[in-house]
Amino acid sequence: MTAILELDGLTRTFGGLRAVDNVTTQVNQGELFGLIGPNGAGKTTLFNLISGFTPPSSGEVRFKGERITGLSAHKIAHKGMSRTFQNLRVFPNMTVFDNISVGALGMIGVGPFSSLWGGKARAREISERSWEMLEKVGLADHADDLAANLSYGKRKYLEIARALAMKPDLLILDEPAAGMNDSETTELAEFITDLNKSGLTVMLVEHDMGLVMGICERLVVLASGQKIADDVPKVVRQDPGVLEAYLGGDD
Amino acid sequence: MSKSRLIKLGLIILVFALVPAILVGFDKGYYYQIATIAAIFMLLAASLHLVTGVAGLLHLGHAALYGVGAYVAAILGAEYGIGFTIGVPLAGLSAAAIAFLVALPTMRLMSIYFAVATLGIGQMLFLIFQNWVGLTKGPNGVMLFSGLNLFGFEIDTDLGIYYVVASIVALSILVLNRLSHSYYGNALRSLREDDQCASAMGINVTVMKIQAFVISSFFAGIAGALWAYTTGYISPNDFQFSQSILILTMVVVGGLGSLPGALIGALLLIILPEMLRSVGDIRNIIVGVMMFGAILFLPKGLFGEVSALNFARRMLGQGWAAKKGEKGIGWK
Repeated sequence: MTAILELDGLTRTFGGLRAVDNVTTQVNQGELFGLIGPNGAGKTTLFNLISGFTPPSSGEVRFKGERITGLSAHKIAHKGMSRTFQNLRVFPNMTVFDNISVGALGMIGVGPFSSLWGGKARAREISERSWEMLEKVGLADHADDLAANLSYGKRKYLEIARALAMKPDLLILDEPAAGMNDSETTELAEFITDLNKSGLTVMLVEHDMGLVMGICERLVVLASGQKIADDVPKVVRQDPGVLEAYLGGDD
Repeated sequence: MSKSRLIKLGLIILVFALVPAILVGFDKGYYYQIATIAAIFMLLAASLHLVTGVAGLLHLGHAALYGVGAYVAAILGAEYGIGFTIGVPLAGLSAAAIAFLVALPTMRLMSIYFAVATLGIGQMLFLIFQNWVGLTKGPNGVMLFSGLNLFGFEIDTDLGIYYVVASIVALSILVLNRLSHSYYGNALRSLREDDQCASAMGINVTVMKIQAFVISSFFAGIAGALWAYTTGYISPNDFQFSQSILILTMVVVGGLGSLPGALIGALLLIILPEMLRSVGDIRNIIVGVMMFGAILFLPKGLFGEVSALNFARRMLGQGWAAKKGEKGIGWK
């Protein structure tokens, strides 16, 4: 299997705290990969190191074989990595359609001159892609609504659709099930599995074990910034270190 | 004829036939003057709208860049005999160039710090206008007697000047309209909403902010040149901080993020004080109270962003979601 994302000795310290401590692992092409750990384990920091929001203190990130450590977030996005945010960050004062269009236009590219002259083909592409994603997540009827007026669950799907509009090679979801009830989580699990089956590599960052255990093919468990397990869910579930981290932690 | 065509035609008739007809009807220099000033401030408000309303950068020095345009046009005209045709674009480009230099270090600043930085730059430019006597003639201001010469045609009637100003302003607003209602506008709006999130979508936040700032300043410079040519005299007081605030008020009263709102706000804040001239100095208080009331009761503005976007996309046919279920394209 070829790796799409490789982490090599990735470390990030904040003062004396080693938020992410020498993490080495890889995500394979086409995989549904999970990153879990109790609260404060360093999942979001690790995620920010990968997506370029925080520079690592040491170590390396390679995406599709290319070193991306230290690149800015928008450059990493252009390489084909797309992310959502833990605390749901849609653009509240923009319509649902406009929200999704931002995902598409970031990749396709718009400029002041192309919007005045000759940008019609690109505009069409942005529109078509945005509609496609809207329909994919079932929000086409809400295209004209302000994102702020959507229900919580719909905003989650909006955020995922916006990330998908970037047509990424790797989609990283940061705690997508947070704040969802059981039936919503089941529905989301199905949606993510379908995405993965259609060929998209998905990395799921979660602190809730349920969703991840159910759908991921491989898991990395993080505790206090360190990788304590890296295996299929069945094995991880019985790993004494993992059990201790979860039962001993505040989760 | 479709609804969008009708509205566009109506706007053209209003600006290029109805208003001139009224002006000719009254035939007073004073009315021409108000019409011209209103047009100039509509352009100023529309250009600030792009930076502050759409891209969400609180810009407190817009009048100074407007001043750069005015001084460039006036000095080129008075000292070097460079006329209107070349002076106006040069004024715009000069303001844009200064904005670019200013933007490079300031664009990484976060919201309120950016506002303070633009305030400082505005003051700095104002002090240059006032104190660099060798270049700007200082507090005495610059006289521009060259008149308005467009491609070799001397425009010396009030009506002619109105047409020239209205055409340039209309064309500029057309450009700003496209920028703020196309996908480019969406990209700028995403910066306002959440710039970190926008960068995760592959948008180069710093570059886009600089673009918006430079484009806006270009049009402020054009407005400055129009001001210099139509009044024939400029002085530092025309470009004080209070003018920046006046333009900002137009944008906010009209509706942040709304281009038609900015235009309505400009019209209102120029014409209202003039209409109330008969009641004496109390008019300033009346205008103040009306502004206060507008913000209190219509916090989204007289023509809010949501309705403005709907108007532009549905009524003017600039939309991508023309009808429910129908897949429109980005820009027709």
